[in-house]
Amino acid sequence: MNTASAPKSGENVWIWLLKILTGPLLFVLLGIHLIVNHLVGKEGVLRYAEVISYYNNPVIPLMEIIFLATVVTHSLTGLRSIILDLKPSRSILQILDLLFLLAGISAFLYGTRLIMIIAAVQ
Amino acid sequence: MNEKSNLPAPRKFLSWFNPVGRQTGGWAFILNRITALGLTLFLYIHLLVLGKLAQGPNAYDSFVRLTHQPLFIFGELLVVAAAFLHGLNGVRIVLTTFGISVPYQKQFFYALMTLAIIAIVIFGYHMFTS
Amino acid sequence: MSDNKWNITLKIHRQKEDQPPYFQEFHLEVDPDEYVLDAVERVWAFMDRTLCFRHACHHSTCGACGMRVNNVEKLTCITPIRAVTQDGGVIKVEPLRNFPVVSDLVVDMSNLYARMEMVGAKAVLPVTQAEIERPPATWPADAEQYLRLTDCIECGLCISACPSAATSPSYLGPAVLAAAQTVGLTAETLPIVDSEDGLWRCHSAFECTAVCPSAVDPARRIMNLRQQVVRQRLSSLLKKS
Repeated sequence: MNTASAPKSGENVWIWLLKILTGPLLFVLLGIHLIVNHLVGKEGVLRYAEVISYYNNPVIPLMEIIFLATVVTHSLTGLRSIILDLKPSRSILQILDLLFLLAGISAFLYGTRLIMIIAAVQ
Repeated sequence: MNEKSNLPAPRKFLSWFNPVGRQTGGWAFILNRITALGLTLFLYIHLLVLGKLAQGPNAYDSFVRLTHQPLFIFGELLVVAAAFLHGLNGVRIVLTTFGISVPYQKQFFYALMTLAIIAIVIFGYHMFTS
Repeated sequence: MSDNKWNITLKIHRQKEDQPPYFQEFHLEVDPDEYVLDAVERVWAFMDRTLCFRHACHHSTCGACGMRVNNVEKLTCITPIRAVTQDGGVIKVEPLRNFPVVSDLVVDMSNLYARMEMVGAKAVLPVTQAEIERPPATWPADAEQYLRLTDCIECGLCISACPSAATSPSYLGPAVLAAAQTVGLTAETLPIVDSEDGLWRCHSAFECTAVCPSAVDPARRIMNLRQQVVRQRLSSLLKKS
């Protein structure tokens, strides 16, 4: 029952704040993402050519990158909370935190690279 | 002293999803957790699938043709549903966390879920009829 | 008390020592305006003296008689039989969740009491600090001297209902966090509540407030305490820079 000590590596203020602030932010960003990707094109799902043409506007890749960072952060902090409820041991939690960080960074890098590739196509 | 049945247990994670004896807020918790897991799964699949864009117009456009199939559209509708349910429940969580509407959290849940259902129906209609 | 009697069945959770738990049925004739606790007591008195259950004041002040009645946490001394069943019906009675079962319907609450003490839970508060419903617009100047018993009767219903408490015994739980909020954020309470088993494990299920028989509203207090901790942490962070 050793809870009367300094905050440990489980849930804490900053991770929680990150989760609860990215949430509402996603409202806006996801809304923009859905409108731009599904309501602007004719059939709902854009074809390759349509994607290329609207990615030429520099605002779009910028918005998508910010959206990607926000959604990956919210998703992984949320997933981490769910797993924390299973009370993993300290050593397992350290491994899991590393995996979360890797998953988040690699998802972000992968997505950003993809965005840059598409934006570069003429 | 029998320590088995009544104690909290880390592997009791299935008890998260047990609605027996729960009230409004408890259902909201279950719903939020299920949609969170579903949306996370979708996120990573979506990212992988979008990799096809980098393979050029043929690879991607043939995939786009796939997305017009009813089963696929139904899957997408599930994602849309999960997003609305999770997002609107999230609105309730953010509000109550910052002290707004705490005594009305039940009513908020019902109102927001009604909104979600209306939105899902509208989206579903558009998705299946275009 | 009405004259008509109901015939009901009590399905009671039995568990002794290391034996596996089971349900035992008892058929009773009761007055529907009596309380579930009365029925349990009658089973003990006239049918099975080996039945263990906890009770004391019989008027929702001591917090001893908390049980799960038809899957919902209730204080059985104030739960009328009429409210949970009908003539010919069944009432399922189980001990609270998330506490070790000592015997039948009795659970070991020592963890809860120890934590309440650790957090410095107060038994009385000046009426100006008690956060009562509908306080006066301004308190009279000498109001501080009037003391009020704090609402929490340490019955444990909130912990039984909480889904976060269901996954780990180390989560402080709604009662303790609510008590910490009444104490306020101090140098002692801050590290306790802002910890990996504290405030951040609440997922806004609000089950605690829904079952609390004493209007403590632990969920609101947890939210309020969170705001205080965030403000505190943010301001100390900004002061450093």
